[in-house]
Amino acid sequence: MGGEPNGERLMTSTGWSFVKAAARLLARDEREAALGDLVEVDESAWQGLFDVLGLVFRREAVVWKSWRPWLAGFGVALPSSFLLMGFSLSVSWSYLTLRCPELLQRSSLTLGSGSVVLLCQVLLLIGWSWTGGFAVGSLSRRTLWASTLLCYSPCLFCLSRFRVESLSRFCLLLFLVPAIWGAHQGLRISRMRLSWAIALAITITALMLPGWSSGDHHWWAPPRWTLDWVLCWPAWHLVATARRAGSKARF
Amino acid sequence: MLGEFEYLLITAAAGLGDGAYGAAIREEIEATTGRKCSMGALYTTIDRLETKGLVKTWMGDATPQRGGRAKRMVRVTPNGVSAAKDFYDAVTSVSRGASWVANRTGSAS
Repeated sequence: MGGEPNGERLMTSTGWSFVKAAARLLARDEREAALGDLVEVDESAWQGLFDVLGLVFRREAVVWKSWRPWLAGFGVALPSSFLLMGFSLSVSWSYLTLRCPELLQRSSLTLGSGSVVLLCQVLLLIGWSWTGGFAVGSLSRRTLWASTLLCYSPCLFCLSRFRVESLSRFCLLLFLVPAIWGAHQGLRISRMRLSWAIALAITITALMLPGWSSGDHHWWAPPRWTLDWVLCWPAWHLVATARRAGSKARF
Repeated sequence: MLGEFEYLLITAAAGLGDGAYGAAIREEIEATTGRKCSMGALYTTIDRLETKGLVKTWMGDATPQRGGRAKRMVRVTPNGVSAAKDFYDAVTSVSRGASWVANRTGSAS
């Protein structure tokens, strides 16, 4: 191949392909410069691989020095995926109750009130998931892979242990579609307009209120509102970032 | 105040002038210090110096010697020159009277 070193001794085509694969983890310009440097100095494949991996590692380490990837991964992605799986299940259960007259009769709901509850739950699920995804995407773009891992690991764990006959195990993952959509939007636009952010946060908070007044709470479980706020804070974080961006633009 | 490696990098880049880019700077540092300079240390330090406004980088032309890949060119800014001078002055003044400096002066005379 013309693009590879002429005087290569140890840089076999296999070794070189490892180097090129590792270099894919670098930004385009940096990959270009790093691979060009290796070709120019006629570095051995393994030394080249070591060099490129060292650069990748340092790049990642620099990113993780900031609080943002930690917040995105451990403050949003990991706890939210656990809680949203539970809430996805709750939405699926509400839907099943509405579809099955026997279950509806056993619950204290009518078809009308049950439909309103389901609608609120669906909107809340979409709102929480979308804002969580948006916050993760905008907080730390370069560590999205880590946040994704932290979100998917609990999903895989719960999927493997899910045993409810009347519900498909994929009911656990209802939150994923709006969350991925939110993360995509977060990557693209990084912050929302303040008016939209406020409207979204207020709507989500308002949708949470009816749940707090319901009496279905176990003594051993943390109060419902604490868990709701874990899911709600990304929405208010979006308000804070939009507000900060607005005030910076003014000065 | 610059770090030791930052100073080495700026000095090597300034010495190379228009020919300062990743591989050349790395070679220069290794040749003058006799120490291995990793690609990771080189490029992350260049980035840090660029963020501080001490060097400016841009992608140069692709050359056949590099398999058609571009170089990341480096130029030291006036602020970089001033920071390197400050570092040099500090090292020179703190070294005054140090035994190894005296010995070297002694052996030279």
